Amino acid sequence: MTAPGLSADLCLKCNICTAACPVAAVTDLFPGPKAVGPQAERYRQPGAGSVDASVTWCSGCGTCTRVCPHGVQVAEMNILAKAQAARGHIPLRDQFMSRPEWLGRFGSPLAPLANFALSQPLLRLALERLLGIARHAPMPPFSHTTLRRRQRARLVRTPEQVARAATTVAFYHGCSANYYEPQLAETAIAVLEHLGCSVIIPPQVCCGLPLQSNGLLRAARLQARSNIRSLSPFAKAGIPIVGTSTSCTLSLKHDYQNILGLEGEDAAVLAESTFDIFEFLAFRLRSTLDQAILHEVTARALYHPPCQLKSHFMGLPALPVLRRIPELDLHLSEAECCGIAGTYGLKKEKYRVARDVGEGLFAQARRLNVDCIITDSETCRWWIARHTALPAFHPVQILAQSLRLS
Amino acid sequence: MTDVLIVGAGLAGLFAAALAARRGAAVTLITQGRGGLGIGHGCIDIWSAGVLERALPHLPDNHPYRRATISSLRSALTQLDGMLSPSGLRLSGSLARNLRLPTPAGQLHPTAFALTAQAQADPLTGEDFTLATIDAFRDFSLALASHNLRQLGAPPASLLELPMVGLPTRRDAYSTDLARCLDDSSLRAETFRAWKPRVLGIRRLGLPAVLGLQSHPVVMADLEDRLGLQVFEIPTLPPSVPGLRIEAALRADAQRHGALIIEGPHVIGRVSGASNGKRAAGVVAHTAGGPHVYNADRVLLATGGVLHGGLVTLPTGRVQESVFDLPVVHNTQRQTWTSPQIGGRQAYATFGVAVDHQMRPRALDGGPVLENLYAAGGLLAGADRTREGSRQGIDLATAYRAVEAALA
Amino acid sequence: MPGLSTQLLVIGGGATGLGIALDAVLRGIKTVLVDKSDLGQGTSGRYHGLLHSGGRYVISDPVSAADCARENRVLRKLAPSAIEDTGGLFVSVPTDPQDFPDRWLAACHANGVPAQEISPKSALKREPLLNPRITRAFAVQDASLDSFDLLHLLSAAVQSHGGQVWPRCRVESLMLEDGRVTGAVVRSLIGDDLIVVGAELTINAAGPWAGAIADLAGLQIPIALGKGTMLAMATRLVNTVVNRCKPPADGDIFVPVGTVSVLGTTDVLVRDAESLSIDPWEIDLLLAEGELLVPTLPTHRPLRAWAGVRPLYRPPTQSAQETRTLPRAHTLLDHQALHGLPGMISVFGGKLTTYRLMAEQAIDLACQHLHVQSACLTAQTPLEAGTSLHYLARRHARLEDPAHHRFSADVVCECELITRSDLEHAITQAASDDLDDIRRDLRLGMGPCQAAFCGYRAAGLARSLATQAPVDGGLAPFLAERWRGIRPLGWGQMLRQLELSRRFSQELLGLPTVEEDSA
Repeated sequence: MTAPGLSADLCLKCNICTAACPVAAVTDLFPGPKAVGPQAERYRQPGAGSVDASVTWCSGCGTCTRVCPHGVQVAEMNILAKAQAARGHIPLRDQFMSRPEWLGRFGSPLAPLANFALSQPLLRLALERLLGIARHAPMPPFSHTTLRRRQRARLVRTPEQVARAATTVAFYHGCSANYYEPQLAETAIAVLEHLGCSVIIPPQVCCGLPLQSNGLLRAARLQARSNIRSLSPFAKAGIPIVGTSTSCTLSLKHDYQNILGLEGEDAAVLAESTFDIFEFLAFRLRSTLDQAILHEVTARALYHPPCQLKSHFMGLPALPVLRRIPELDLHLSEAECCGIAGTYGLKKEKYRVARDVGEGLFAQARRLNVDCIITDSETCRWWIARHTALPAFHPVQILAQSLRLS
Repeated sequence: MTDVLIVGAGLAGLFAAALAARRGAAVTLITQGRGGLGIGHGCIDIWSAGVLERALPHLPDNHPYRRATISSLRSALTQLDGMLSPSGLRLSGSLARNLRLPTPAGQLHPTAFALTAQAQADPLTGEDFTLATIDAFRDFSLALASHNLRQLGAPPASLLELPMVGLPTRRDAYSTDLARCLDDSSLRAETFRAWKPRVLGIRRLGLPAVLGLQSHPVVMADLEDRLGLQVFEIPTLPPSVPGLRIEAALRADAQRHGALIIEGPHVIGRVSGASNGKRAAGVVAHTAGGPHVYNADRVLLATGGVLHGGLVTLPTGRVQESVFDLPVVHNTQRQTWTSPQIGGRQAYATFGVAVDHQMRPRALDGGPVLENLYAAGGLLAGADRTREGSRQGIDLATAYRAVEAALA
Repeated sequence: MPGLSTQLLVIGGGATGLGIALDAVLRGIKTVLVDKSDLGQGTSGRYHGLLHSGGRYVISDPVSAADCARENRVLRKLAPSAIEDTGGLFVSVPTDPQDFPDRWLAACHANGVPAQEISPKSALKREPLLNPRITRAFAVQDASLDSFDLLHLLSAAVQSHGGQVWPRCRVESLMLEDGRVTGAVVRSLIGDDLIVVGAELTINAAGPWAGAIADLAGLQIPIALGKGTMLAMATRLVNTVVNRCKPPADGDIFVPVGTVSVLGTTDVLVRDAESLSIDPWEIDLLLAEGELLVPTLPTHRPLRAWAGVRPLYRPPTQSAQETRTLPRAHTLLDHQALHGLPGMISVFGGKLTTYRLMAEQAIDLACQHLHVQSACLTAQTPLEAGTSLHYLARRHARLEDPAHHRFSADVVCECELITRSDLEHAITQAASDDLDDIRRDLRLGMGPCQAAFCGYRAAGLARSLATQAPVDGGLAPFLAERWRGIRPLGWGQMLRQLELSRRFSQELLGLPTVEEDSA
């Protein structure tokens, strides 16, 4: 019995999680988190196949755990059950999609050719037929140069190489910032430095979340152990790890221990020292940020807090900052999840459901007639942009503009 | 800096957050999960035996209503109206006389206020009515809802099973599924088209409370327009759609007025080191990565009783308050905590934290445990809210008084 | 008064009575069985769920142990779908007498109880939640036996061989003519009619009520009632039956039963089988002993507690006070031989595991009285045709069937995965309006929510299907019964569950309050 599995004891069957689940709200293929989670958990036997195949429709958004008043780790339980159900028959597509680092390493040098190819409808149709990758799902463009190459000077192998430990921040870029959005990372770094930090880039590998979500737990643990090994020395030296990808930072904080079951002091220290960038601003750079002058950003925007951001259980730290920006007509999304849920929406068989999950959000954007979307997660940005035809920004990009950092 | 930090997102917590935010305070609400509104009947129970004002002088001094005062309750109700109306929700009822609303088991539940769709059931005998359910909906039984009403002298004139378009077919439907089908305008139109021939000649119809979740006012208006019916709702097994409507409206109101809502972490209270143990500094929240400190000028605990974790009950007979480990009024003989009968008096239901007239938890010497710590709702001692039929009234009155005292 | 005549009247519809009735009909004896309640509301329905390997009694009661070991093998062939082959373990924790296991193992070998030593490490591999500090471990052939399933199989078999089974028929008086028992007058509790059942031989298999039945014939039988309290943990913390390897005492067995695991038991002398109370010390003891086996026990959720009464033979030499050391072997009393009252035999005591053997011996004796020459056929007569799966395996099969979309729609009891059609079938077949009877058939309301949700749904179905159902569909008494079993665990998790049920019952459904104080 896993630790999340044991929390099934806390379930009173009250259905609050079922009512909040964004997937159950749009499809009857999914009976709801309570049914496949704590309810089915009592039937799961060690060594036997996982019961209740419909758990595969769970998107892993984490809303259920967050709204449960009794502390049941519903989402974590479901993720492990999905892995158990998939054991032995994980499709080639999922093996691909779980390894964005390989995709990036291969695709980035070949950008813009790769980007051009992936934008071709015929190729996308072929990919859908052959591998099951939804042809309408957004595939973000590769960047030709990676963040690590552009910021070579910041690469640091050990904390001993760091000059000013007291104000230094280690940037966790993850696959998305390294291979797809290096400018976003550079903007984030610029903001941190503007507020008095010096930023280095420690050794790191893909966080492993896509592997975990697709049931490849052993491979995910390899990634996790590697990151724990390279990042925990920085954490122990008092250098916080900060990232702009809410899913990556959640993995480092929570999934490594609570889902992958990795124990030990290093994993714990890393978890406590990892921050989402706005969380870091709110908890460590509060007074500096409060004193900074925020200039106007004239736009009408819809801020969508990603489901994984909410799963950090520390609220929406970007919200009060965005609210301070003059002329920014900011609206708050009502949706629990935009639908992409990592790699879920990229899958042919899940695409329709994912799209339906996000429909309320897309409709809200249309209704409010906003100029842009603001959201902390890269996969959400790409997905919402695709389905609303609106530009999507990480809140740090808005902040950078407000701080007038070019 | 947070002016008021509220712990708990039940009716007491959400109402307090919206109220304090409307008063211009910087409000942060932290909650481990979503509270009791989603599992209740969606009504505002104030005093099931009748008129609270008459009963109040006879209540013990430590009763939450005595602490909060009836004037807080009245003001709270007015404020609540204001918080619900932007979402198109209206409460009907009065403090002078309870409504008697049909339950899913065919009983009549006395309550002071309910959303208009539910309140319209009173008086049941006012006009002939038909009771209906939706095909195969397992969380509302037409048989149970109707048979006992006959014994109570309020029989339905007829019974009906109605279809609904868009229902799940590959799994069971929850009340929220039905409500969402009606939220969707094209599914709703088809459903009402299917109902039309079946409700010919019917003027008043009682249905399970699934008439829209996000678009309830539109669904009600549409129903009355297209089918010419007066409709009333009867609550179902959870999820409670009326409760969820109220919850969503209060959240939206609180956020609209600037309150920040943090969902997920369990919190432990912090006492300010600089205050000689006299002031709360805030809380420590167990976030995904680790503990985060949230500071606040004032802290309001609306963490509930034994059900939602405000009180932790141990086999040793000890009962603990889960955030600040405040003194809890209780007895240590665990075999006396419950009655042999589910319908009997339950001692555990009165356990909780004793408060002063400013809704501040009291220490043994009678003074406040912490100068800036307040408590409201189910966490309070002195009332068996199920037995009294006072659950939501105590939530509102005590939350109002606590915010008033905190911001004074 | 209506009446009938038969060769054999069996009083008592537990494993004892039904086993006896089946043995009789297989030997061609015309048989009627009566029970004052639904089948299995006595000891058989309240037991631990254990198909004994015999290991437990191998030193204290070797005859019983050897019987268990043999019958264990027989029952697996007779009623495979009622048995989950969990296997068993005997383990020693550091505080157990360390010289006991070797004696125990020798006694197992001497009495035909299969037992094999395994390393504590492999025991822990098999049962990860076990105490990591166990010193010795042995594998035995315990299994988990569902008594309700067994009783259903027995009842169906009796009837398919021409016997009659009458539940809810209470014996009002025994008929005595010319100094012999000639049958009984029974009252049907549905319809309230009296029926005369004339019988050449009456067998008193009424378990805890055997004394009361004997009393109707003016007899006193040496029966002591030992109450045993058990509690179910909400999940299967162990998948094997785990026994402490020490002289048998309270709370030293942990049995997986379907989706829960049951800790037991105590042994307290009681005066009668009605209104059994469960005292806090019993719960505390069971949890403390259980913690020695599963150290994380305080973090797991206890679900429900109940008590059963063991009818035990008290030999004239035994002290009047305690019941733990009374013999566990069954007792057959021939009242003709003992009391000069022909026409009646009393049978009581024993383990459910040896019900068949007990029945064989009883009917062997009955045959003498009935002048019937017939050999026992029960050991070679399976209770079901073909291979059937244990209910848990059936659940798994349905859950894992992708074509079935889990259970598709219409699940009424979500905890135990009981469908509307299962329930409709049971309601229309049932003769009573008691949802508790349906519970025994289907496991309705036996999961973590203890009928908080399915109680209402099932009552709704009952009310709509059965015209004689009470106005509330039987909901109030059903919820009351669930409440009763949770109360002894009324703190923490289960107090939350009680509160939730209470809110539903009183606030949402508006069921009446009662004027009564706690405790």
